[in-house]
Amino acid sequence: MRKTLLVSVALASLCATFAHAADLKFAPGEDSRFNWKSYEDFKAAHDLNGQTLTVFGPWRGEDEALFESIAAYFEDATGAKLEYSSSENYEQQIVIDTQAGSPPNIAILPQPGLIADLASKGLLTPLGEKTEKFVQDNYAAGDSWVQLGNYKGKDGKEHFYAFPYKADVKSLVWYSPENFEDAGYEIPQTMEDLKALTEKIVADGGTPWCIGLGSGGATGWPATDWVEDLMLRTAPPETYDKWVTNEIPFDDPAVVNAIDEFGWFARNPKFVAGGTAAVATTDFRESPDGLFSLPPKCYMHHQAQFISSFFPKDVKLGVDADFFYFPAYADKPDLGKPVEGAGTFAMITKDSPAAQAFIEFLETPIAHEVWMAQSGFLTPYKAANPDAYANDTLKKQGKILLEATTFRFDASDMMPGKIGAGAFWTAMVDYVGGKSAEDAAKEVQTSWDAIK
Amino acid sequence: MQQLLFALFTMVVGVAGCAVYFIASNWALDLIFPSKGLSGAGASRNLRITNMIRPWLFLAPALLALTVYLIYPVIESAWLSFHGKNGQQFVGLGNYRWMTTDAEFRQSILNNLLWLLIVPAAATFFGLIIAALTDRIWWGNIAKSLIFMPMAISFVGASVIWKFVYDYRPQGAEQIGILNAIVTYFGGAPEAWITLPFWNNIFLMVILIWIQTGFAMVILSAALRGIPEETIEAAVIDGASGLQIFFKIMIPQIWATIAVVWTTITILVLKVFDIVLAMTNGQWNTQVLANLMFNWMFRGGGDFGRGATIAMVIMILVVPIMVWNIRNAAKEMEGR
Amino acid sequence: MIGSSTRRSPLTFVVHLSVLFLVVLWTLPTAGLLISSLRDKDQIAVSGWWTALAPSRQNAVYRAPAPDKQVETNGRHVITGNVFDGGTGTVSAFGPSVQTPDEFEAGETAALSKGATLTVADNGDFTISSAEPMEGRRGERIFYTTSVPPQFTLDNYREVLSAQGLGQSFINSLTVAIPSTVIPILIAAFAAYALAWMKFPGRALLIALMVGLLVVPLQMSLIPLLRLYNDIGAQFGVSPKGYLGIWLAHTGFGLPLAIYLLRNYIAGLPREIMESARVDGASDFDIFVKIVLPLSFPALASFAIFQFLWTWNDLLVALVFLGSRDDQLVLTGRLVNLLGSRGGNWEILTASAFITIIVPLIVFFSLQRFLVRGLLAGSVKGG
Repeated sequence: MRKTLLVSVALASLCATFAHAADLKFAPGEDSRFNWKSYEDFKAAHDLNGQTLTVFGPWRGEDEALFESIAAYFEDATGAKLEYSSSENYEQQIVIDTQAGSPPNIAILPQPGLIADLASKGLLTPLGEKTEKFVQDNYAAGDSWVQLGNYKGKDGKEHFYAFPYKADVKSLVWYSPENFEDAGYEIPQTMEDLKALTEKIVADGGTPWCIGLGSGGATGWPATDWVEDLMLRTAPPETYDKWVTNEIPFDDPAVVNAIDEFGWFARNPKFVAGGTAAVATTDFRESPDGLFSLPPKCYMHHQAQFISSFFPKDVKLGVDADFFYFPAYADKPDLGKPVEGAGTFAMITKDSPAAQAFIEFLETPIAHEVWMAQSGFLTPYKAANPDAYANDTLKKQGKILLEATTFRFDASDMMPGKIGAGAFWTAMVDYVGGKSAEDAAKEVQTSWDAIK
Repeated sequence: MQQLLFALFTMVVGVAGCAVYFIASNWALDLIFPSKGLSGAGASRNLRITNMIRPWLFLAPALLALTVYLIYPVIESAWLSFHGKNGQQFVGLGNYRWMTTDAEFRQSILNNLLWLLIVPAAATFFGLIIAALTDRIWWGNIAKSLIFMPMAISFVGASVIWKFVYDYRPQGAEQIGILNAIVTYFGGAPEAWITLPFWNNIFLMVILIWIQTGFAMVILSAALRGIPEETIEAAVIDGASGLQIFFKIMIPQIWATIAVVWTTITILVLKVFDIVLAMTNGQWNTQVLANLMFNWMFRGGGDFGRGATIAMVIMILVVPIMVWNIRNAAKEMEGR
Repeated sequence: MIGSSTRRSPLTFVVHLSVLFLVVLWTLPTAGLLISSLRDKDQIAVSGWWTALAPSRQNAVYRAPAPDKQVETNGRHVITGNVFDGGTGTVSAFGPSVQTPDEFEAGETAALSKGATLTVADNGDFTISSAEPMEGRRGERIFYTTSVPPQFTLDNYREVLSAQGLGQSFINSLTVAIPSTVIPILIAAFAAYALAWMKFPGRALLIALMVGLLVVPLQMSLIPLLRLYNDIGAQFGVSPKGYLGIWLAHTGFGLPLAIYLLRNYIAGLPREIMESARVDGASDFDIFVKIVLPLSFPALASFAIFQFLWTWNDLLVALVFLGSRDDQLVLTGRLVNLLGSRGGNWEILTASAFITIIVPLIVFFSLQRFLVRGLLAGSVKGG
């Protein structure tokens, strides 16, 4: 019986229907915002007819459709077939698939911590020095990005494994321009101004901040962004890097100070909508709604750019909602204008000519511009035309990214998963619940020691 | 459509294949060692041989599947639990030693014991009550279906449902969680239920009880209906009241089934992690072993050694239940 | 049939009442889900689902036409309009500032900056009037309080049902779930009979093993199994991910419970039946097929329900053994993907939870009638 079944299964997989060639979103050669030459050059250099490339990524729903629109260009240019898949638990799935020996050709992941782990187990293929140099030369803050692509392999040596594609800016404060106008508030240019504004709003009888850390199984993570952002504004980036690798302990005074800076905002019941009890339990997706309620529950909300897709549906970006850069301290000018961000990286998990071609494809400006022209995509790639951004909001965020003097990746994503996606979150929840910053930080360090 | 036909076809082939296996192997056994038509010693010898072999024919497919899908992974895990992060370097008892010093692990064990005490008891109790009561009323089937419904909801759905029960809004704001709405209606102050130390464990357990009562109810209801009518009728004639019938006649009759339901739910509790993962991911001191294992296994690249070690603990916890079941089975066999 | 003996009891009323209470308690959370799934996305997170039926007082905002629409009448510059913009409603309060959106009652006059005034009538007509020409590029925001009738929408369901590939996923789910339910039952029934009624050395040990295996965490076996599948797949030159693999996996994972439940049920069958059959010269195989199998129907049916539920609602096993490509997704996977990369679209979650629940409920209803004792009693008498 088993044999018959195997045969019929094999037959069925042969009969599987092939997806039709997808349509191209923007006809090649038509819109002058796009760098069509890069596309034609890439097309001329690659012919992979009949090959299949499997890609596994974190994007689902609308994002998945957006990535498919990029993939269509790759398919059109090379003749290869690109099969994209994703899953709710993509972090676990990629571990299972690579460990079990059935990886996709390309994995796209947002967590350097996870990438480091895959690299150390020898599951990734190095991309080579040429690709590394490309990122170094062509990306804004290229050093930071190259550093994020380098990991220790199974042989213990560092190689360039991960190609950065798609970035996010996290250092944003969202607000309603008209509510600011009505109340006569100005956009703060320095951290001192921001703190003064916070106090002024309270004095006027309002509540300045909406903070929500709730996220089901990941509750606590929005607070890590706060702490990281404040860390970059109170300590030099070198300290930040040492913090990420645990060269300085998690309860180092610099870290404790950053946590307390966050506490200045989040632990003052007058500063946050609903008081401190609401901070830990409010869902991060619902938290920004307070900006738009009548009367407003709060005036400001600190969150990465993606949050705009959770705004109530009648809120128009740029009119009803806007953002400003989470400012730096005026009295710490040597720290410059740091930007905290995140991004996704493409890696080869199973080498093939098509996989190599895909990485090369990501080096073309067109692979960036087509997504930029739709929504939710930022890139530090200097050759991509900023005019391609679909709207002013994106353009403004892109500008923040390109002008950053220091770019640092989300620290919690770079720490080992047990810390960055576990102990750190729990510590933040505990801290908001009343634990002291020292104790909360010490707790994280204890967990970190346990996994060494 | 084509796929559905294919599915139907393979299903028929699979089921028929299983059936053919059982029929053919039994037929072959009877052919090789015939007991009918033979005289005296030969027949009884053959009968003895077939009686020895036949159980294994019955068991073979199940044992094969269990070996591949459960025993082999268990052995692999046991091996992994003595190894490091990548499952390559031998660390001896290192993982077990780590475990005894880990605060989170101790927390999970305590919480798990709490779950083990409360959930099976409550779910079985409610399941029994509902099964017994609904048998007596004309709309019993409707009531049962409604109570069964939570079982049919996926855990993603269940976690959304309970979000709408436990949701917390600060005092003064309009509550969208029904629990807080009731509390504030009676003049109380709203609570963030999921973060209340200790009690939040209970609130998570309520979810599992809510789901598992349907399971207990269906099994127990089948058992209650299996009680021979004559027994109950005799008791009614003797003038026993409804309650007396229930406690003195019905419960002892289905005692074995109650034990089965209890055991099943207990084991499910040991494995519970969906609810904890979706509601709190173990924060605010609600960690349980299965979720802890999942975290170690897959979060951020995974540490298979420690994940496997926690899995071994989960399996060790089931030993008392195993012993108890063996003794039950042994008792049954004595009477046979 | 059971109620007949207790109909006259005074307890009946209490029974009805307490069942009703338990049913309400158990359905209340689900009712919340159902009602939420019919509500507007923005309302779900703002007001309790139990208020969905009542009209709600709501603060709203209307943007008046920009100052370039002003007309001069009687020496004053005026902008007029209706806040409901073509619709109808009743304004109970209004205000010009976001901080105090209900400062004035309908019909009163509010002062704006630079000497302008604003009046909103209760039917929504408003007048902004000023002695000086008004300036600015944006229109004035008018905040008003109105009573909103209950609103229900099928949009959430429409969105979920129109998802691309939903039909395919539905078929995939059925393809996974049906064989994954039938195969383990068949295998388990034989094994359960052997463990319950056949004598052989090592029986107690095997029973203990079943109980022990019940507790094996599923997640633990994923990697070893997938590795095994990959090896086998490479040997035969077929893809390691396919339906056969997932059926067998579900079979393996479901077997301990199936054997455990069925063994206990079968062991509880009256011994006289087996013995009289054996005396008549029936073999174990005959006894099993002709007597035990029909008698065990309630137990088989109840296990079928549960096994079907687990396989239908399963996400992890399907993702690992079937894959997450578009044409491989099962229903749960498809719906979870609908939630987008960052999850949390309550309106889609609520609607999809109800869509996935339908098939299990049909299964429950159709199998429920097999869970009755008539079968048992009947065959005992008949046999």
